[in-house]
Amino acid sequence: MIKLKIDNREVEAPGGSVLIEVIRETGIEVPSMCYLKDAEHFTSCMICVVKDRKSGRIIPSCSLKAEEGMDIISMDDEVREARKTSLDLLLSEHVGDCEAPCQVNCPAHMDIPLMNRLLGEGKFAEALQVVRMDIALPSVLGRICPAPCEGACRRKSIDEPVSICLLKRYAGDFDLEMDQSWVPEKAADSGKKVTIIGAGPAGLAAAYYLALKGHACHVIDRNDKPGGSLNKEVKSDELPATVLQQEIDLIANVGVTFGLNTTVDSQMFKELTESSNAVVVATGKGESGIVDWGLPMHAKGVEAAGKTYRVGETGVFVVGSALRPSRLAIRALGQGKEVSFSVDQFLKDKPVKGEPSLFNSRFGKLLPAEYAEYLKESVPGQRLKPEVMKNGFTPEQVMEEARRCLHCDCRDMHTCQLRLYSDVYGADQKRFKSEERLLCTKQDNHDQIIYEPSKCIKCGICVRITEKYKDDYGLTFIGRGFDVVVGIPFNEKLSEGLKEAALEVAAACPTGAISQRAKTGM
Amino acid sequence: MWLRHVIKRDILEIEIRDIDAIVEELGTQQRSVIPILQAIQERYNYLPEEALRRVCEISDITAAQIVGVASFYSQFRFTPAGTHMIKVCVGTACHVKGAGQVYDAMKRELKLGEKEDTTESGQYTIEKVNCLGCCTLAPVVQIDEVTYGHVSTAQVSSILTDFESQKETSGKKRYKYADGREVEGEIRIGLGSCCVASGSDEIRDAVKDTIDRNGLNVKLKHVGCVGMCHQVPLVEIVPTDGETTLYSKVKAADVEQIVEEHFQPHGFLKRISSRFLKAADTIRDDSRWMGVDRYSLDVREKHVSSFLGKQVPMATEFRGVINPIDVQEYKDRNGFRGLTKVLKEMTPQQVIEEITESGIRGRGGAGFPSGKKWEMVAAQKSKTKYVICNGDEGDPGAFMDRMLLESYPYRIVEGMVAAGYAVGAAEGILYIRAEYPLAVSRVLEALEICREEGFLGKNILGTGFDFDLSVYQGAGAFVCGEETALIESIEGKRGFPRIRPPFPAVEGLWGMPTLVNNTETFAQIAYILKNSAVAFNRIGSGTSRGTKVFALAGKVARGGLIEVPMGMTIKEVVEEIGGGVAGDRTFKAVQIGGPSGGCVPHWKSDTPIDFESLKEVGAMMGSGGLVVLDDTDCMVDIARYFLTFTQNEACGKCSFGRIGTKRMLEILEKITIGKGTEKDIETLEQLAEWTGKGSLCGLCKTAPNPILSTLKYFRDEYEAHIRGECPAGKCKELIRYEITDDCIGCTLCAQDCPVDAIAFKPHEKHVVNHELCIKCDGCKQVCPEDAVIII
Repeated sequence: MIKLKIDNREVEAPGGSVLIEVIRETGIEVPSMCYLKDAEHFTSCMICVVKDRKSGRIIPSCSLKAEEGMDIISMDDEVREARKTSLDLLLSEHVGDCEAPCQVNCPAHMDIPLMNRLLGEGKFAEALQVVRMDIALPSVLGRICPAPCEGACRRKSIDEPVSICLLKRYAGDFDLEMDQSWVPEKAADSGKKVTIIGAGPAGLAAAYYLALKGHACHVIDRNDKPGGSLNKEVKSDELPATVLQQEIDLIANVGVTFGLNTTVDSQMFKELTESSNAVVVATGKGESGIVDWGLPMHAKGVEAAGKTYRVGETGVFVVGSALRPSRLAIRALGQGKEVSFSVDQFLKDKPVKGEPSLFNSRFGKLLPAEYAEYLKESVPGQRLKPEVMKNGFTPEQVMEEARRCLHCDCRDMHTCQLRLYSDVYGADQKRFKSEERLLCTKQDNHDQIIYEPSKCIKCGICVRITEKYKDDYGLTFIGRGFDVVVGIPFNEKLSEGLKEAALEVAAACPTGAISQRAKTGM
Repeated sequence: MWLRHVIKRDILEIEIRDIDAIVEELGTQQRSVIPILQAIQERYNYLPEEALRRVCEISDITAAQIVGVASFYSQFRFTPAGTHMIKVCVGTACHVKGAGQVYDAMKRELKLGEKEDTTESGQYTIEKVNCLGCCTLAPVVQIDEVTYGHVSTAQVSSILTDFESQKETSGKKRYKYADGREVEGEIRIGLGSCCVASGSDEIRDAVKDTIDRNGLNVKLKHVGCVGMCHQVPLVEIVPTDGETTLYSKVKAADVEQIVEEHFQPHGFLKRISSRFLKAADTIRDDSRWMGVDRYSLDVREKHVSSFLGKQVPMATEFRGVINPIDVQEYKDRNGFRGLTKVLKEMTPQQVIEEITESGIRGRGGAGFPSGKKWEMVAAQKSKTKYVICNGDEGDPGAFMDRMLLESYPYRIVEGMVAAGYAVGAAEGILYIRAEYPLAVSRVLEALEICREEGFLGKNILGTGFDFDLSVYQGAGAFVCGEETALIESIEGKRGFPRIRPPFPAVEGLWGMPTLVNNTETFAQIAYILKNSAVAFNRIGSGTSRGTKVFALAGKVARGGLIEVPMGMTIKEVVEEIGGGVAGDRTFKAVQIGGPSGGCVPHWKSDTPIDFESLKEVGAMMGSGGLVVLDDTDCMVDIARYFLTFTQNEACGKCSFGRIGTKRMLEILEKITIGKGTEKDIETLEQLAEWTGKGSLCGLCKTAPNPILSTLKYFRDEYEAHIRGECPAGKCKELIRYEITDDCIGCTLCAQDCPVDAIAFKPHEKHVVNHELCIKCDGCKQVCPEDAVIII
């Protein structure tokens, strides 16, 4: 056994242990990406660096053995900066999106590519569940939303964007037509009460998601029916009143209660803040009385924090046009969903941070040379249109149109270590941005895995794994320096190169460069 | 159609037989990969895929290994090359003399597009190389075995014409002027005032007469005061092929004999054997030269003089005198005496003590105390150990190790055998760059002779000590000069460096304790063992003892290889040995240490050349590149030049190195084309800091040095570029070529211009059309009136 110090703590470890393992054993987290346990170290990503107190040098802990008398600082400002800088550099050559542009652009942040995949396979019910994770009124929005998602859709550069809005509408309608519409699981009753002032899209969404999180939600509105500005959109052809009513009913179905024909004045507001555990103000545009309620105002509405929608340190939250006038119902719906996180955190005495979001790698426009590559996971064909607009798509059309999706989202977006650490260390993809970028390519001639070289961080894990397997070809480094790539020798197909090792490589790859194909699931 | 098919089949058959034979001879394990690839490429001038696949079929080498290795090293081609190889040197000395423009001109001449390197006819392939080792002839272009020196952009087509005219004749390397005349050398005559006073004028006339009469292609050069005033008149003979010799107190009557001895008149006398062209041997026989003192290179003489004066040859002892391969001569000059003493009279520990006492530090660049390293290896308890000579000298513009291996191979052998004895190794390897074929063949020859003489092999000198050496050829990767990458290369892998610890001294080649030292270090060790540690130690400064060999190049009047005591100042080297800055330009800075080094500005030229002092001013000793820069050199361009080199050679393994160097280069390129911003300089500094801190090995760790040192001393030049100016007039996007009123309307420039940017108007002042001008510098070179200026 040898003795060493980690952050001034005496630690004992068997001689010959790898330093990163020793540090991790003490409970300290050390990030790593190119480190493959029980394989030879490769000292590539440099994210595992720690500091040697004696020399002051930063050293890669995955590649060194712990030695007697070592004195290690596991984290300080310089170590943090070193890890972040390595990530900044890796991100500058990493060409890929974590979340697809459509999702990033959607004010409700819906996982559109996943919905598309499920619809493409005919799994309509599951697709609806994906939609409802972020959008409380799918069939309504499927009829009135201007679809900023389609504006960002990459398919647009090839021919026309995917008809996302109508696809979503179908999912919503499919569910409404079931005998029993889907009821999501509710969290246990928290015993907390939330009053939502305003039954427009923002208030409805807030109530829906807060109720699902286990809180007792009561929505007050001055009008005789809920819906707020959505009622103005009701036109027989475009948005039948029944559709709106059905979806509002589904919200009531999860336990939300309504107090209609109720107007709030400053007196009532004060009482509400005292009798409820939290209040969500979703009164919409032009609610003249609101100025008397004692809330801080700015030129266009109530003053509240950006991400959390919270008014100062109080239990009052503001969303929708009351915060800032907007004509986009989807934005109001999105904010309603987001505020449910803040309120929930507030009610549980947790730090109020709003909806969790992760770092996103983004690479911008698709270049013409990449169209063919991206079409590999899609189908050719022009955008479909319903025969009769008000009827929407047929099921066959839905499947066909959904398959036009290019799947810009990364298969590994939930497990990618590069994404995870970039989030933890606050990495900045733009810091070392270059004017040129690698072209995206997809090597998909393999039934289990897909390889996207532009996402590779050259960690060599796949090379080390395939070396073990003695497959005919395996993977190897080709070239040298900045232009080095990992590939199959002699340009053989992926299916020739990776046989037995395929799944193990996909699991071990720290980014989405090599990943398992059949990943539609959530 | 059917004929082609038949031929193809024949070729495939032959390939398989040949490949099988190669593998049979070289081995079936991974360690044989590089020699196998080299043999295949030698045979086919590229690596056919079928050949590589066949190797995998009949050996333990996998496809992943062979492709991984073949694609790492620059030597290997995957497409056939042309019949003739055109190599344009872009080493540092050539770069500062405009090699880039020569390359562009050659490409235009061959009608090659940006990404093409082989002509349609398949006759020529062009490539850039670092470096051909003829820095005094910069810019240099080599076509097959013929070397053309002092090439200007205007002469590119005449080179090709000349080569075409004689390409049938094979033979030794020849050096030519661009118009085809062979350069045989230079004769330099000191014409300072003392020299003239003592009759140098007469000497000069006599020399000129002799040259003219015999039709010799020898350049007669006048040099300024050589300082050896008591020895004038001085005549210095500098043949192209061979070493310089200096004659002092020369009389006019002697001139003819001196000149004719070195430079044979064409067609007249039978050419005496090639030995006479290597200046050394012709003059050794003093009896023929009464009254003329041949300058002796004895260290004890205190001549303060020209090129050779202040130098102290230790690694290069007997330079210009000794025949590289003559083992008897080496022995006559006390060669192998040191080794004999070591094996017969000293214990390994005593040898290490001697080395430690001498104070010698590694000459490869890092300057690690050699005695300490030997101690470390000796202390390891292992039956198998190795000694490696690092001859992978890759700095563009450095050729010290090449010269040492070509000219003093026995010295290196001696050093290595002694090392083996001291540390307990029985096997050693000389790792020599592929680009040094002469060094490889000389060393191989020397090794054979050593075995015959009993200096290598079993029971050396009857002492019971076994030790043998082999040669391993590098395959074109600068990073393999890093000791861990070098070891990976010998093991048949991609040259990726490894983290240290463990150090090679503990766990090196094949996991065994390995001593890796630079070529020059071994050469100096031979000196130490022959003469004593004290003889070495008494010269030097601070903790930097002994001497260092430098390749002095650039804008200096006299460039070449020099060996100077540690502690000599930069100023002394540049002015006294180098003869100062050439032409009437002003001294701006020196670049020391090649791509890992830094610039030392002229106002710091009193800095002594030793490890510590150089580090203090932000430079580095490096392996010995010393480039002199004048006011026409742009410091941002110099930084970009070096970073282009390191970025191209980076191995790609670690994030900081791979991406850091690329991003720094991108910013530098942006700045040199005038698109840089203040923020770019900030980002550049951040990148420089982190690439230095975070990279795995010395290559990328030191890659930011040229940037950091030029920013430190010449930040104003960076800022000028941001404003859109290049003060030195070098960066193409920021300069304009203009014709002054001195123009006489001779139309030479208009005729020369490759893009017709100057209208052909005889007798009228010519005008450059800036929209078309590609800044090839042709007009400036060809103008007889110096009427073309750069703004």
